[in-house]
Amino acid sequence: MISYALRRLGAGIVLALLVTLITFFLLSGSLESVARERLGSAATPESLKALMTQLGFDRPAIVQYLDWLGSVLTGDFGTSLFTSQPVAPAVAARLGVTLSLVITALVITVLVSVALGVWAATRGGLADKVSQGLSLVGYVVPGLLIAIVLVAVFAVNLKLLPATGFTPFAQNPGKWAASITIPVIVLVIGGVASMAAQIRGTMIGELRKDYVRTLRTRGVPTRSIVLRHALRNAASPALTVLSLEFIQMLGGALIIENVFALPGFGAYAFNASLQGDIPIIMGITLFSVMLVVTVNLITDVVNGWLNPKARIY
Amino acid sequence: MFPVLSQTTSLTRAAVASVAVAALLSTAACSSSAPASEPINSSRNEELSIAVQAQPASLDPAQLAEGQQSYIWASIFDTLLMVDKDNKIRANAAESWKYSDDLRTLTLKLRGDLKFSSGDAVTSKDVAATLERTRTTPGQQQPKLAKVSSISAPDASTVVIQLSAPEPSLLNYLAQATGVIGDADTLASDTTKLRPTGSGPYVLSDKTVDGTEYVMERRDDYWNASAYPFKTVKVKVIQDRTAQYNALQAGEVKAALIQAPQRKQAEGAGFTVKEVQATAALVLVLADRKGELVPALANVKVREAINMAFDRAQVVKALLNGLGKPTVQVFDPNSGAYDTGLEDAYSFDPAQARKLLAEAGYADGFSMTMPSTVISQSFEPVITQALADIGVKVTWEPVPPQNTASSIASKKYPAVLWFYGLNSAGRQVGDMYAPEAFLNPFKWQDPEFDKLLQSIATEPDDTARDALYKKVNEYTVKQALNAPIAYVGTLWATAPDIDFLPTGVVLPTVRDFGLSGK
Repeated sequence: MISYALRRLGAGIVLALLVTLITFFLLSGSLESVARERLGSAATPESLKALMTQLGFDRPAIVQYLDWLGSVLTGDFGTSLFTSQPVAPAVAARLGVTLSLVITALVITVLVSVALGVWAATRGGLADKVSQGLSLVGYVVPGLLIAIVLVAVFAVNLKLLPATGFTPFAQNPGKWAASITIPVIVLVIGGVASMAAQIRGTMIGELRKDYVRTLRTRGVPTRSIVLRHALRNAASPALTVLSLEFIQMLGGALIIENVFALPGFGAYAFNASLQGDIPIIMGITLFSVMLVVTVNLITDVVNGWLNPKARIY
Repeated sequence: MFPVLSQTTSLTRAAVASVAVAALLSTAACSSSAPASEPINSSRNEELSIAVQAQPASLDPAQLAEGQQSYIWASIFDTLLMVDKDNKIRANAAESWKYSDDLRTLTLKLRGDLKFSSGDAVTSKDVAATLERTRTTPGQQQPKLAKVSSISAPDASTVVIQLSAPEPSLLNYLAQATGVIGDADTLASDTTKLRPTGSGPYVLSDKTVDGTEYVMERRDDYWNASAYPFKTVKVKVIQDRTAQYNALQAGEVKAALIQAPQRKQAEGAGFTVKEVQATAALVLVLADRKGELVPALANVKVREAINMAFDRAQVVKALLNGLGKPTVQVFDPNSGAYDTGLEDAYSFDPAQARKLLAEAGYADGFSMTMPSTVISQSFEPVITQALADIGVKVTWEPVPPQNTASSIASKKYPAVLWFYGLNSAGRQVGDMYAPEAFLNPFKWQDPEFDKLLQSIATEPDDTARDALYKKVNEYTVKQALNAPIAYVGTLWATAPDIDFLPTGVVLPTVRDFGLSGK
């Protein structure tokens, strides 16, 4: 198990190296544009050259990349070219905002999806129709539209929740909850739409299997059959969907963060890309790759724990 | 205003932000009159919160950028001079200034009661050190001091700036980012980028979250604190314009720029909406006036024809939602360079345009490629159609956002659609028409025009210089150096207790806001 985790981590590091190398070389074509952006419209060829030298942009791209990599290994991720903020704390702070949003949304998504999926699979009939209907609505209605409506109602008109901004949990848990309520609802609606349908489908499959019939004949209570046996077996594919949902939510957070002016990872990445803020883009790339690798690793480990047959270590 | 604006890079923002004032170079010794202060009311503990789209690039005086970022840096730093609401240069940290007869030596006298936020006195040594560092550090302010040959501080309150040649815009620069006063002892410190030692009316509080919200507290030991009614100023970075409006409606900010379609709703909700009709110019920059890429553009008749291709009123109505004004000029309508009489120079007349093209030898038209940038995208169908109607075929080449500025400098494109944030006439000439100008990548020059510019540089009288700028404006319009389309306006919405004061283009500072009815 430990050696498997280490192997996966090693593969993740190789992947991070490859991705950052490719990213850096893609960005290296715009170095002059970045320097010009820093200097503004009155840039002269002399000042442009001076800044290129000052930033080290006049060196070969591979030398710049290795320089960046060397600094990263010593814990120095560089400084933003446009905001003067050190990359590591800036990215970490923004990642914290996004993760608090996404993880809260995921937890709620799991709870709601399990409840809805199990309810639909065990009750059938009207319950199943309602569950499928809700999933369909979640699929069809764009999250952005839901966000706009919720802001208009709860923030602008009723003033019950903030329309923009983020309060860190450590600063004020109540205000933190208020600041992420609407964004989380928007993310949950999309998440539940896919996860509830997945759980419903696998649960129906599990409940039709022979072992369930055997358990019933032995007088095992339905509640126990559903929650202890069928749900555990159905959890494995749902977990894979959940890990994909997590990565999808990270992407979806970009729109949500813009709509609610949350100082998160997505909006930060988007801005940095527009400006060509190379140290920030590189930092974000590295953090993102490691995040995805970590999530996939956790998914595999938990899957193995849930289902011994799925163990690959 | 434009949805696309929320996705622009800093230089592009600079192109759409209105950040400057008409410069009026004063050459006489100026009186030491204190800057105009707003009448102060009894409740001086009010809070102002403003929404802006981008966080400051840096608070290092040598790296300051213009645009809405100045709400922050102009609160933290004092400037040597200031520009009042009538676009007049006024005393500020420098209580007087004097030019030599040859306009190559500027002597500034500092007030005696200037203090840094650290409590130390501000002296001429700090001013000289800040200017010298700005002059020698690559950054957006450096080119503005290109004609400065030396800066000295003969005594604690005197600063002498020597110029290699007259610089008509220098006083204007010293009233803006170039003229901020930093602390000589900490200028080069890393902390200066985010938490500088300030000389201005406000100091950043510990509640500031970089990139998200800048909280500034008024310094009651600031020499002109009485001119600032707001005890606390919060500048919230909200990139998305709709989110800004939501924040305004929810009472999370008290002032924000809004888009034209939101105007009625904002007024209905009790906000005060103030329109500034011209803060930027939408211009089709005809960069290749020498005809290096597209020979046709070297012919004035062709450039005139392009100017006749646009139904400017329709562009304002349909694409700017009425927030703007059709124009064939690029200079600030509130500046001395503007000439109402020139507005009739090019009416919308495709037939006459085709005739002019035929006279120039292009009866079958010609083709040109233009960069498709974050600025141009929403206007491209209209530009394409208007030019096609007179026989000019436009191909748009996509350019990544971070290459927007480089697309002009690259000399790959004969023409570029650009937003130019209105400025003082001198600065506009420097940005658009001077041989080294950013919007003159092909380095177009003309002897007659050069002579005009030369006469401006050596003209000591404000009124006479305005008349010369008017001639420059006339020349650029008659020669159709560019094809201006419209002035672009902005709408400020403020809470009922806040007033937005400016009526024209000014440097964005907290002085733009006052307490309603007080």
